[in-house]
Amino acid sequence: MKKLDRREFIKLASAAGGGFLMPDPLKVLNDAVGQLLGTKKKPASEYYPEPVTGARFGMVIDLGKCIGCRRCMYACKRENNVPDTISPPYIMVFETESATGVTGHFASPEMMGKGTTMFYTKLRKDKWYMPVQCNHCDNAPCVQVCPTGASYKDPDGLVLIDYDKCIGCRYCMTACPYGARRFNWWEPHVSRDRRNPLVPMRRHGVVEKCTFCVHRTRRGKFTRCVEVCPNKARTFGNFNDPDSKVSKLIESERNFRLKEGLNTEPRIWYLTKPKEKRMRWYRPLPPPKNIRGVKS
Amino acid sequence: MKNAGKSFYIFIAILLAFIGWGGFNWLRFLSHGPGLTGSSDVVPWGIYISGLAYFIGVSAGATIVGLLIHAFGRHDYEPVGIRAILLGLLCIFGATQFVLVDLGVPFRGLKVPIILHNLTSLFLISSSSYYGFMAILSGELYFSIKVATGKASERDKKMAKWLGIIAVPYALWIVHAFTGSIFGVVKAREMWNTPMLPVHFVISAIASGFAMVILVAVITSKVEKRDLLSNETLNHMGKILAFFVLLTLFLDFFDYFILRYSAKKEAMEGWHILTGRYLPIFLINEGGLILSLLILTFKKGRTANGLLLATSIIQVAIIAYRIDLVSVGQLAPLFPGMGELYYHPTLSEISVALGLIALVILLYAVLSKVLPMEETAPEPVYASRGLGKTLWKKNKKRYMEVRN
Ligand code: SF4
Ligand code: SF4
Ligand code: SF4
Repeated sequence: MKKLDRREFIKLASAAGGGFLMPDPLKVLNDAVGQLLGTKKKPASEYYPEPVTGARFGMVIDLGKCIGCRRCMYACKRENNVPDTISPPYIMVFETESATGVTGHFASPEMMGKGTTMFYTKLRKDKWYMPVQCNHCDNAPCVQVCPTGASYKDPDGLVLIDYDKCIGCRYCMTACPYGARRFNWWEPHVSRDRRNPLVPMRRHGVVEKCTFCVHRTRRGKFTRCVEVCPNKARTFGNFNDPDSKVSKLIESERNFRLKEGLNTEPRIWYLTKPKEKRMRWYRPLPPPKNIRGVKS
Repeated sequence: MKNAGKSFYIFIAILLAFIGWGGFNWLRFLSHGPGLTGSSDVVPWGIYISGLAYFIGVSAGATIVGLLIHAFGRHDYEPVGIRAILLGLLCIFGATQFVLVDLGVPFRGLKVPIILHNLTSLFLISSSSYYGFMAILSGELYFSIKVATGKASERDKKMAKWLGIIAVPYALWIVHAFTGSIFGVVKAREMWNTPMLPVHFVISAIASGFAMVILVAVITSKVEKRDLLSNETLNHMGKILAFFVLLTLFLDFFDYFILRYSAKKEAMEGWHILTGRYLPIFLINEGGLILSLLILTFKKGRTANGLLLATSIIQVAIIAYRIDLVSVGQLAPLFPGMGELYYHPTLSEISVALGLIALVILLYAVLSKVLPMEETAPEPVYASRGLGKTLWKKNKKRYMEVRN
């Protein structure tokens, strides 16, 4: 039998229902000193490269091409060291009815209504799929309400969280209209061999969310979810450059942003082109499980 | 401690047991993460924030009594004057502790607002204002005690008076209205995002706070077996309370009326949850307020026993309102298709909340014994406190006569 370390044992014991998590005063004391005076760990902000000058990043998602396979969801989870205790990961994918039923256009998210679900297990060609993640809003309510300044907006358009400043008050979570933020309810564990060294590990009690893959995009790469999408539904780019693919897409295609009435100025645009005819349909990865606070 | 019988120590022991239990559970949270609470990514704020809102609300009672004494010259309120200030101070303290246990990284939270701050955050503005409120109330307490013990100079008397008056706009405008705005400004949540919320919060705060002062006065009279306040004063208090309860009901009604009539999508979902799955809390809130108002309209309801009943009901009703406001306000899903959201506080979460409530009661019980709570002028009555129980009982009638 594999030797269990203490943490795993505690987890298993509590999962079995018979366990009772005992406090660990020494650990708490140690932690308290660390919180007040800082620890020797490399600060999270040092993981983030400097903002790219002159750039204004954003993303375009073509709903006509999204098949709802959830590949982005799982790839993002791996890329960003998201532990299993966080569910759903940064991306939620919704299945919804055809908006008008006439043209096959997905008119607007306001049309998300009857039959919309996050827990579909089979893909259907007559349905629409809609991934939602942090929109990196220009008027981000989460940044506005954060008491510590842990959530901040960088000049290149990214909304980031400094995990060494966040006090876990969760005001940002109540203020985000898109449900994009996740809280570390438990100590996050990602085994060493699976960990991405470019992304800082979080601790329990802090908030995290999509970073637009800051460790990649500021080094000139695309985000992981863009890379992994089998039908290239996602496009990432610089909106300050009029020749970039994203700028052109926004100029030429019909598009909308989520909950535009709230004036949050999201940096993710959704295209409402008709459904792409020649698409590869993959089997979907499983829906998110064990979501806290959601009846399953 | 003077006048502390055996039952007092038993009471303290029970409170300590609650505090110990809550502290133990808080240590568990700190060791393993806040996952031991019932909150979730979809309902990030639970009963701790309700507790914050409730305690901040109750602290308003202190200021209203101060206003009645100092600005309106109701000197018959003086026996509860210092008690109300102490109560307000401890409630603010309790509220900050509720914030502390809610934080995911609490000790880092102590760096707010000096080291970590973002001035656009209403959480920062309101929680910093609590420190200011604590300072004002501590000053008021200090000078009022000086006045009560007869050691005050003219300047001290003026300080007590003016701090008491300044506390009112500071509390209502800055502390309470901004605490209400914490929720009011969140445009993501239809149930919160209304300009009425700061007003609503202030009014319900006054109702619960004033009710708490009355409750404390009545309980003190019962425990110490004497009349702290005259029947006339109690009657007057009951009338003021009835007015604020009525105002709270009025605001409740129009809040829900507008919400229901405009029938926005998310607000309707919230309304259905409020009056569906969470109907009992809603009924306790509105039913409790109506019931207490009914009690208060009768002259009999404005005597000690009637007030005891009515004010207890109001506390329960306002706690229910805070839970509705905070937790049920978040239950409408931000997108359809997220599934049915729920929030059930866990036992350990509740134990921490009870522990904090016990802590506030304990501090009040001890401090109100240690500190002089009333003017020491009519000597015979207070000398009697130092006497043995039998002697007090024997001579009770005579002492009461002297007092009146
Ligand atoms: S989507 Fe939410 S978390 Fe992301 S920037 Fe906007 S408000 Fe903040
Ligand atoms: S939880 Fe952290 S990031 Fe969110 S508002 Fe509080 S301090 Fe800021
Ligand atoms: S941009 Fe990066 S962090 Fe954001 S959803 Fe995509 S993969 Fe995840």
